[in-house]
Amino acid sequence: MSDDTEPDGGPVVDEATERVDGSTDDLLERILARDDLVVVGFVLSLFVFPYLLVNLLTQIGEAIGFSIGGYVGLPTLVLIFGIVVIGFNLLLGYTGLLSFGHAAFFGVSAYAAGIFTAEATAFLPTAVAHSPLAMVGVGTFAALVIAWPIGFVSIRRSGVYFAVLTLTFGQMLYYYALGPGAWLTNGDNGFSDVNVGHLLGTFELEEAILGADFLRAYTWQYVFVAVAAVFALWMANRIINSPYGLIFKALGQNEQRVSFVGLDVFRYKHMAFIISAGFAGAGGALFAIHETYIHPTTSLYWITSGDFVIMTILGGTGSLVGPVLGALIFEYVSNVISGVSLPVIGAIGSLWRFVLGAVFVVIVWVFPKGVYGGVRDVVVALTGRGDDDGGEEA
Amino acid sequence: MSLLSTTSLVKQFGGLTAVDEVSFEVDRGETRAVIGPNGAGKSTLINCITGMLEPTRGTVEFDGEDITGVEPHDAVQRGLSKSFQTASIFPEMSVEENVEIAALAAEHGSFQLNFLRKRESFDEVHRISERMLDAVELLDQRDHEAASLPYGDKRRLEIAIALASEPEMLFMDEPTAGMSPGETHATVELIEELQDDLELTILIVEHDMEVIFRIADRILVLNRGRVIADATPEEVQGDPEVQEAYLGGVEL
Ligand SMILES: Nc1ncnc2c1ncn2[C@@H]1O[C@H](COP(=O)(O)OP(=O)(O)O)[C@@H](O)[C@H]1O
Ligand SMILES: [Mg+2]
Repeated sequence: MSDDTEPDGGPVVDEATERVDGSTDDLLERILARDDLVVVGFVLSLFVFPYLLVNLLTQIGEAIGFSIGGYVGLPTLVLIFGIVVIGFNLLLGYTGLLSFGHAAFFGVSAYAAGIFTAEATAFLPTAVAHSPLAMVGVGTFAALVIAWPIGFVSIRRSGVYFAVLTLTFGQMLYYYALGPGAWLTNGDNGFSDVNVGHLLGTFELEEAILGADFLRAYTWQYVFVAVAAVFALWMANRIINSPYGLIFKALGQNEQRVSFVGLDVFRYKHMAFIISAGFAGAGGALFAIHETYIHPTTSLYWITSGDFVIMTILGGTGSLVGPVLGALIFEYVSNVISGVSLPVIGAIGSLWRFVLGAVFVVIVWVFPKGVYGGVRDVVVALTGRGDDDGGEEA
Repeated sequence: MSLLSTTSLVKQFGGLTAVDEVSFEVDRGETRAVIGPNGAGKSTLINCITGMLEPTRGTVEFDGEDITGVEPHDAVQRGLSKSFQTASIFPEMSVEENVEIAALAAEHGSFQLNFLRKRESFDEVHRISERMLDAVELLDQRDHEAASLPYGDKRRLEIAIALASEPEMLFMDEPTAGMSPGETHATVELIEELQDDLELTILIVEHDMEVIFRIADRILVLNRGRVIADATPEEVQGDPEVQEAYLGGVEL
């Protein structure tokens, strides 16, 4: 469990009645037990992630004769969806609310960010109107604004009804973008007028930060998205360790009791919904920056909502970084494994969803807590560390 | 002046009248027992007062204010707290967190927008949590997962949660149901201590007559939703109607 207090249950020295403060050992213990460590680990892994995914896997692929290496933009795409599912997990993994409509926030933000770059030049300097930071701000804001009413209505129902209501709202927006809203979104032709300027007016996002080949996946866009992902994870960690986090977790476990301790269940669920929509919005705007093209099917369609659910569960609900692993597996299968060609079967191609389904079934079967929870359990078993503080949460 | 009063409170479920024109008062500091046969409407009465159910008719007043039909969280914020018949806890949270969340609600109200502070910095919340855990003797187990506690401890945790809301009045629906005699005894002692320590007003539904006669100042007897007696334990004991309806004529 979360608790950044002491290890749970274990043979704790009898400090239960009196909190020991100050001793170095104890301090170290506490730091290790914290989710903050997870954030630090995440940051460190971002430094090597593109190299591993793109360069190293390509080399290994060449050695074994399969193209298993990622392309240059893949690490960025993984982190974009990672941001979305970090937030989605606050809703699904902690608060226990299954939304099938988060594509709405992802998509609305993507469109808002894209349309902003196309239209805002009329009243803002180009440097601002095309600024990636402004795009993220505008998109996230738009997502929050529509999340408020959608949440307000959907939260009133629970379980399946909640899921179906969110699904319905998402689909309404999808069909709007496809048809009646075409004056705004360019409908089925997609919106390609996304003008992404330089980051902070200086860095061209498509360019690598340095010329070396082993750094080719380290584009300014990757840097930008990685910083955003760290910020997202830090925010989520902050939320989880704040009273909100405690209340969200409590809502997931016993909603009735939450109202009978004197908390307004509706408003906290509404907040969980809006907060998670904010993460989806940030991801959506980054997606618009990454793709420089937005189509209703890749942004607002219900399948996208379903993908968020799959990524989150695959990686591990209720853990801080687990869902990011889910996003990694998902995007790796959809973008890389789909390009692998096997001896008998031939190209996997559009069979990738089939492969993903198989991966999903196996992982959920073998690791009910998702990849992160499973790996953690294995590590704990191997190292014989009985305590599992931070276990479900970290 | 009475702390709680109901006036002609009625709750109907379809054609069934579970609570029928119930009017009664509870004084500050009193321990009030509500007894009656199964299905008499005891739980329904509590639920109508604490906001779980909306009364069909009638009013509930608490501390001079009309609280008829308020939502549960609102009732709690006004000082009414309910301990559940089954241990209603947060199973996957630590014992301490279970209590912390109630303390948080008591300290900061039913909703706060700005909560992005670390929980460790909420000193008052910790102080209340510790005090309540100490009161129910669960302080040593505070880092345990709530689900891992034995049943009796879960019930005590449940009571600690209800207390951490810092209520003026505590409602307990069969707090000793399913407990061993030993646990029952411990729970009764706990209730008595808490009452003294925290100056609580208590409304308790209980089947165990020994418990009732030991702790109750006054007893409300319900039968088929109606009040058939509202008197001191001694008076109730001697009331032929109560014996007839509730105990089937058996001597108390
Ligand atoms: N939610 C409900 N819907 C329909 N009938 C109910 C409901 N709750 C209680 N009842 C009925 O109301 C009557 C009183 O129930 P209850 O208050 O639980 O009695 P007690 O707690 O005294 O045993 C019973 O006949 C019961 O079946
Ligand atoms: Mg009952």
